[in-house]
Amino acid sequence: MHVEILYRPAHALARVHLAPHESITAESGAMVGMSPNLAMQTQSGGLLSGVKRWFGGESFFRNTFTAPAERGELLLAHALCGDMRVLELTQAGFLLQSSAFIAATPNVSVQTELGGLKSFFAGTGLFVLRATAPSPGMLLLGAFGGVEELYCDGNLVIDTGHLVAWDATLDYSLGKSSSGWLLSFLSGEGLVCHFRGQGRIWIQSRSAAAYGREVASLLPPRRR
Amino acid sequence: MQHAITHGPSFAMLRVDLAPGETVVGEAGAMVARHQGLAMAVKLNAGQKSGVFSLLKALVAAVLRRLIGGETFFVNHFTANSAGSVWLAPPLAGQIVHRRLQGELLLLSTGAYLAHAGGVELELKFGGLRALLARKGLFFLGVTGHGDLWFTSYGGVEAIDVNGSYLVDNGHLVGYEGNLTLSIRSAGGGLLGLAASGEGLVCELSGQGRVWLQTRNLESLVGWLTPMLPR
Repeated sequence: MHVEILYRPAHALARVHLAPHESITAESGAMVGMSPNLAMQTQSGGLLSGVKRWFGGESFFRNTFTAPAERGELLLAHALCGDMRVLELTQAGFLLQSSAFIAATPNVSVQTELGGLKSFFAGTGLFVLRATAPSPGMLLLGAFGGVEELYCDGNLVIDTGHLVAWDATLDYSLGKSSSGWLLSFLSGEGLVCHFRGQGRIWIQSRSAAAYGREVASLLPPRRR
Repeated sequence: MQHAITHGPSFAMLRVDLAPGETVVGEAGAMVARHQGLAMAVKLNAGQKSGVFSLLKALVAAVLRRLIGGETFFVNHFTANSAGSVWLAPPLAGQIVHRRLQGELLLLSTGAYLAHAGGVELELKFGGLRALLARKGLFFLGVTGHGDLWFTSYGGVEAIDVNGSYLVDNGHLVGYEGNLTLSIRSAGGGLLGLAASGEGLVCELSGQGRVWLQTRNLESLVGWLTPMLPR
């Protein structure tokens, strides 16, 4: 499998070249185009995991695209304007913000995880995704705005709206941005994620929630 | 202090690297990430002459601005206890422009301010009827002093050096140098031009100095979105 990312960074499109008999699993709605020889199969991975995904802010279903005994091509995109990244799976795997997931090789298990109180208040939702694989695999992520890879050497504090993914080797906890709740509110930063340890963190240069709030504040109220 | 602006022009993000003891001030809500060695403190956007009167004035202005819409009235001070970086980004799609101030005055439209460092003073300037007509809010942010200023736009930023006069659509005005004077006039075409050209009133900047325009207009985005909202 070979992935090219076109139209970066504002309107990224992933062109996935599938070798004969290869397949890739994508978030429902992410498909932009495909060669006619690909077979698409829709699955929820069992009712429970479908429901969990749905609660996690993702779609209930995912689609697997498989090439026959010849090569095939699949085009994938994110819902929002922004960049995409390909991550090679590591031993520890990754944690990701649920809306960042676009696709993965079929050997990658993408489990919705209850972040517990840890992510209860996070703008990213109640759940995070944990991506792990027993063998080499690939993960395709989408972001709002540009993507920047930061290296956490000890500690970093990240606004939850700007988080895309991070190495599962890192410890994280959700907290206030300032010392008190009132100050955190006034600072406009709300909740942040405190990371500890060594590992990579991918951030996006825009927060969808902040963008939405800014534009929504200028729109007329919805009439009932 | 070093800085880098990345991901421009569409989704620009600012990184400021601080040595121990250095401080950078950012618009509330603009923080993307920071090292833990940077302490964050929320302060009223009152400038450094923090006398009781100027604090009161800032608070009144802040509440007014809050009511009218526009930027928040709190800023975050990031001070490095140990060397580290802070990343800042505006909410909308756009560019970030850096300006090294050497005593001159700059006037910024509502929402254009992102961050500053050093001996920079921020003061709200009442724009009067002119600003009201220009629909850019009642206030401009006057920025002066010696230090760094970062401001932001919706869309790309075009800098134009004015010598004489230049007309700018009010929704596209980001900021201008203080030795230019702003006035409001019709774009031309008589009464029909005023009512039907889609340009309405424009800002005329006269004198010698630089003006910054943004290539997109938030009002146009809102005007396009509004009729499509579900009822």
